[in-house]
Amino acid sequence: MPPNVVPLDLRDFIGVAPAVILAVWGLVVIGLDLARFRRLEPEARRVACGRATLAGVGLALGSAVFLAWVDSLALTDSGRLVALFGESMGGYLGRTDGLIFLGTLARGLAVDVVNVLLLALLAMVVWMSTAYRFTDDLGEYFALLLWATVGMMLLAASEELAMLFIALETTTICLYIATAFERSRRRSAEAGLKYFIYGSVSSALFLYGLSLVYGLAGSTYFDAIGRMLRAGDPGLAGNLAGASALLLLLVGFGFKVAAVPFQQWAPDVYEGAPAPVAAWIATGSKVASFLAMLKVFVHALGPWSRPSESVMGPGWLAVVAVVAAVTMTYGNLAALAQKNYKRMLAYSSIAHAGYLLVGLAAASVSTEGPAAAGGVVYYLVVYALANVGAFAVAAWLARDKGADAISDLDGLGARSPFLAACVVVLMLSLIGVPPFAGFFGKLYVFMEAMRQGPSGTRIVLTWLVALGLLNSVLSAFYYVRVLKAMYLREPSGRPIGPARPALALPIVATAALVTALGVFPGPLVELSRSVAVPMLTARRLEAPAADDLPAPGAESPPGVAWRPETPTTD
Amino acid sequence: MNNDIPLSWFLYFSAASFAIGLTGVLLRRNAVAVLMAIEIMLNAANVNLVAFWRYGTPAAGSGPMPGVILALLVITVAAAEVAVGLGLILLCYRRWRAVDVDRYDTLSG
Amino acid sequence: MARFLFLAIAALGLLAALGTVLARDLVRAGLHLVAFFFCVACLFVVLEAEFLAAAQVLIYIGAVAILLMFGIMLTRNAAGGEADLSGGWRVPAILAGLAVFAALAFGINNTVSPAGAGPWARVVERPALEPADAAWKAERSRAIDDMPRVVGEQFMTRYALAFELAGLLLTAALVGAVALAREDEAADSVAEPEPGAEARPPVATSPRPSTTTAP
Repeated sequence: MPPNVVPLDLRDFIGVAPAVILAVWGLVVIGLDLARFRRLEPEARRVACGRATLAGVGLALGSAVFLAWVDSLALTDSGRLVALFGESMGGYLGRTDGLIFLGTLARGLAVDVVNVLLLALLAMVVWMSTAYRFTDDLGEYFALLLWATVGMMLLAASEELAMLFIALETTTICLYIATAFERSRRRSAEAGLKYFIYGSVSSALFLYGLSLVYGLAGSTYFDAIGRMLRAGDPGLAGNLAGASALLLLLVGFGFKVAAVPFQQWAPDVYEGAPAPVAAWIATGSKVASFLAMLKVFVHALGPWSRPSESVMGPGWLAVVAVVAAVTMTYGNLAALAQKNYKRMLAYSSIAHAGYLLVGLAAASVSTEGPAAAGGVVYYLVVYALANVGAFAVAAWLARDKGADAISDLDGLGARSPFLAACVVVLMLSLIGVPPFAGFFGKLYVFMEAMRQGPSGTRIVLTWLVALGLLNSVLSAFYYVRVLKAMYLREPSGRPIGPARPALALPIVATAALVTALGVFPGPLVELSRSVAVPMLTARRLEAPAADDLPAPGAESPPGVAWRPETPTTD
Repeated sequence: MNNDIPLSWFLYFSAASFAIGLTGVLLRRNAVAVLMAIEIMLNAANVNLVAFWRYGTPAAGSGPMPGVILALLVITVAAAEVAVGLGLILLCYRRWRAVDVDRYDTLSG
Repeated sequence: MARFLFLAIAALGLLAALGTVLARDLVRAGLHLVAFFFCVACLFVVLEAEFLAAAQVLIYIGAVAILLMFGIMLTRNAAGGEADLSGGWRVPAILAGLAVFAALAFGINNTVSPAGAGPWARVVERPALEPADAAWKAERSRAIDDMPRVVGEQFMTRYALAFELAGLLLTAALVGAVALAREDEAADSVAEPEPGAEARPPVATSPRPSTTTAP
């Protein structure tokens, strides 16, 4: 190898151990299904495949927890790591620069926490998938779920545009296929095709925006882009190429998180996809995309958010604020009119994307710096938990009724009172009623939005928060319809059977977690803040060399001067 | 006197093909035709990436060829996307005997 | 000379792209697409990225275009292969395309490059690599002269994980496409037209009824 090639440290693969395990395990599941499970009865085969998949998810979860332990040790007591793993390995693990693969990927406690969250959600989704029969290609189905998760974990960890793009595509392409897996229904195929067409158009737009960003900054690393833009650049003033790049990137992410006006696919896909796949699109994909969006917009393109007086106006902050306002209002209004449970959840998830965008807009201008993004992280956790539980109910309906209208829930309160109570908890959390975690998530996001420096943005964000509160009240109406169906109406038609553990466990577990996190929000708040900070400040390994570009940002490292005009306050 | 091609020519070409591809996406109803228009858009982005790579001065430590690597990844993704897209289109075709996006109608959106 | 070459290639490429988008016959559109891919490959050669041009020809023309042709052939009889342009949306679509082009062209002309370099419109020639006085110049001239090797090095070091992920993506696409396209009893049982699905008049397609039989 020629001397000027920077070598790769092969130990970097330790940092992506959960992803590697899941990727390999997908093949293991397909192999097991082909070799052994295919001979079983459909029921037994489904359970066997599900258990095999769960074993892999458990393994990956174990490795993620182990890495989290190692990384937290590296922060507190790195000497212990050297004692445990020897000089070279311990020294490697004790590094806290937080980047691997020559800076293309982040590692560290933040990444581990996100991985644990995604894997825990995945375990529930996999378990949910064993509850009823919707496909006969079970090995392939579970493998695609695992591979989509690999994409999500790397998407949330990526620090570089090429990595980001390929991870984003892996996630969505696996989900396109999984959406169309319900063979017995035409709507599943249609949903898959719709998702595919909207998705690939948006990723083409995204890619074009990405190429413009690369052209403007000369680098594909988030940190290098951020430094380049921060150095002596007057915001977006007069820079139409930058503005187009920004808008195109916003289209790409807006599609992934289902923000208006790129939300058209969401209701159809959520309705048409099998319930567990819809759950995974609504939670895992959204969590990963939002984290990636935070990184790109706040870390790389952060300098373009700040208001300036010139023609192009206030940078992306204004655009995101408008999108957030429209998204939450549209989502909530459209959800009011829905009779289908899954469509209602789709519109509700659009509305939640709106609240999250408020958090994103706030994080870019907050006086708190990157810690303000902790609100978004907290909200994402809570939202994902509540939604997995809500989609487990949809799976239950699909199993016993073969349909998913809200009226199919009639009389559930009398039939299985405990689970119905759990559903009540989930719905209340989605509305944002105290003492459940949804309330605290909204409170946290909105509080961060109010804590602003410049007066211009403060007014905008205050209006956004007011609109968000109004919307929360509005959202109560459609969530309450679910409760009304469960408790106030008599069951009609075929009654809903008892939920076996595959369905009951996700519902109960998420309801319990949502309650616990609402009553004791402290630890998770701390965790979200500590996740958000390294995520948005990861520095490049190499310092700019002298003979390269003037690199004017070198003297003001981004971690220190978060926003040049307002000095960082602790 | 230089006879080299200005960077902006490549960018104009790419912008024009991107716009043509986008028009095609909006104009076409046939799913396969939409797929073709998407391929045009991806190629436009690739031209951009390679032109920026060749003409730009790189930021420090970003490797010798980020643009080319990204373009290669895009080509890979495009191949995967077309395979999956055709799988989905054929699936829908078997159900409806039609490839026009407008004619699938089980979902209300 | 190089400029004339570029103009010729670009003009052909844009014509081919227009042909792809506007051709009523899908097979013809597909052939135009092949021509477009080829023009883009030629542009890669002009940009001194021959390896990429080879990859473009092999993958885009050799695989993607052929796959698309298969897709066209397999779904041909239903669409009648023509007149699938959406009637009412023609003008807004063309206007949107023109608007996007105008915005992008204006942006290209007036970029405020944050990198300290001049705007894109003023970059009239590629940076000279001859006196290799900076590290990146040596790196780049090596990348140009020995592209396959440098691509390999990059994929084995800096982009190792992206490379692995691309492999995973292709595996997933393969597995998924096979699972989707597999014929089975379940698919056949629902392939019968449901009421309302076939009864609707074709939207914005030819008045000729589709003379479809199962292949």
